[in-house]
Amino acid sequence: MTVASTLTEKAFTERRKPEWEALDALTNEAQRRGIKKLEPDAVLRMSPLYRSVCADLAAAQAARYSAPLVDYLLGLTAAAHTVVYGPHARGREDGRKGRIRQAWLVAFPRAVRRFKREMLLAAALFFVPFALGCVLTLRDPSFAFRVVPEAMLRPLTEAYAKGFDAGREAGDGAFMAGFYVYNNVGIALRCFALGIFGGLGSAFYLVQNGLSIGAILGYVASQGAGENIVVFIVGHGSLELGAIVLAGGSGLSIGWSLVAPGELPRLVSLQRRAREILVVVAGAAVMLFMAAAIEAFWSGSSAPREVKVAVGGTLFVLVLAYVLFAGRTQDGDLEASGDDSPEEPS
Amino acid sequence: MSGARGPLDTDVAIETPEHIVFHYRVAGPARRALGHVLDLLLCYGGVAVLGVVVWLAASGGGLETEELQATAKGGFGLVLLALFAAQWVYFVVCEAYWGRSPGKMAVGLRVVTTSGRPIGWRAAALRNLLRAADLLPVAYLTGVVSMALSSRFQRLGDLIAGTMVIVPESARAARALELSPPAEPRELRDLPEHVVLDAEERGAIELFLRRRHSLGTARELELASVLARPIGDRLGYAHPNPSRLLALVYDRAVNAGRLEAPSSWHPRERTSSKKRRAGEARS
Repeated sequence: MTVASTLTEKAFTERRKPEWEALDALTNEAQRRGIKKLEPDAVLRMSPLYRSVCADLAAAQAARYSAPLVDYLLGLTAAAHTVVYGPHARGREDGRKGRIRQAWLVAFPRAVRRFKREMLLAAALFFVPFALGCVLTLRDPSFAFRVVPEAMLRPLTEAYAKGFDAGREAGDGAFMAGFYVYNNVGIALRCFALGIFGGLGSAFYLVQNGLSIGAILGYVASQGAGENIVVFIVGHGSLELGAIVLAGGSGLSIGWSLVAPGELPRLVSLQRRAREILVVVAGAAVMLFMAAAIEAFWSGSSAPREVKVAVGGTLFVLVLAYVLFAGRTQDGDLEASGDDSPEEPS
Repeated sequence: MSGARGPLDTDVAIETPEHIVFHYRVAGPARRALGHVLDLLLCYGGVAVLGVVVWLAASGGGLETEELQATAKGGFGLVLLALFAAQWVYFVVCEAYWGRSPGKMAVGLRVVTTSGRPIGWRAAALRNLLRAADLLPVAYLTGVVSMALSSRFQRLGDLIAGTMVIVPESARAARALELSPPAEPRELRDLPEHVVLDAEERGAIELFLRRRHSLGTARELELASVLARPIGDRLGYAHPNPSRLLALVYDRAVNAGRLEAPSSWHPRERTSSKKRRAGEARS
């Protein structure tokens, strides 16, 4: 048996300890304050120190130094590794703002178009039950009670029957905005997440929401307040219903990537698709935030109905045009899908 | 995936570009559940405090004027926003910035990618969006089943984001083992000049020597004799106290008779020390 090193452990430790402690101090500081806030020369020292401690670790392992020493060096290099290869070490300083703008103007609409099959299917899964619920309730108002509890429908109908001439108080608006964010954004995100069960969870949420919204619309209309509720919905409907469909379509998409992964292993296929589709989910959430603000402060306001319809219609055209045309190049959507993910799926 | 599976099933090995292999211990469901309960307490405790403040402000004002009533309602809208943040935003932001939520920090956990790197925004968002699926039908049942079936205790959110939750080893310097009391000439007389221990023997003796003070004397001698007999037989060395025998043998093997570094071991005199080492290796 050959001895790998002629240096005793004690001598090795004594000689190298200053560098270990320097790296330990730098790592702690970087973890506490973020690597961006370190002094320039501290950042410069970090990487050579890390590499030389890695070399020490290799030497200690080869020389079979005691387990605590090796463990100590492992812990030290592992902590430094998190800093050196951390998320802040990857992007350029100026990257973030540009990336967010790029996501909005290019990546989001492109991703929607790229997965248009799933988005169209989601739209069908939402709007067919919606129409069904609406028509069935108009023919027989009691159908609505099977979908939505009667205790919820009655006060709703009364509220719409009153109309919006009185407008809403400011406090009411703020309360409703909070409620819409909590409820609607939550539904959309859940609708996406449950897509992991082969898309079934998303499909269920889409159908259920479509049916009950359709039934509510039909019921309120059958009680004679149809014009009021349509005027109310039209203001924010394009954003709100559109976002639910997009979130549901994203859920269907990850579900499908699991069911039919093509040539990839199922897990890899799922991870890739989830990374690609995430921008659509984020976009849908932002759309719902906007919808919540409109719904709370504008849709229930005392503005004349002609104005509301006009604004709602314009918004609808804008949303549609944005999703269909934003970020297109002359060659279509082929180049740069906006997926510059630095974290490779493994 | 650059890592190979380790010898233990909670052990994940990851090789870095520097060809260093890290072993991470993957965190199990119990510890993660504890961390999660702490997070929930923090989140919903915060929301509850906000709710109470708004309620007190509303009822304390007497609600005489309509203006005040409206403000109170707006305040409850704020509580709902906070509830939304607790459900969907808290974990994403904490994990994207610090790699762990406060609850995970309290129980010593960290989220990393399966290749051992800190997670970014996308991974943090994905793994926490999928919470909605993991907590179904009740009490994270889906997540626990998924953890049981995956090799790295990953719930669905971890699988889709390519992450895992680990217990980072803390970097603490351990003192080198020293022979105390110092060897007496009588004890060293029969000890061979060169003692070679293989890695397993060395590891076992080291573990024993570090733990022996926490054992009772009887147990210490009993454990030591298990190791001391074969090693003593092989070296042809006997000592009445098996624990002392192990300490002596270990000291001889590790420190090879010199406890201090050679005087030439200073960075300034690197060339001369290299020559010296070459000479030693040959001899």
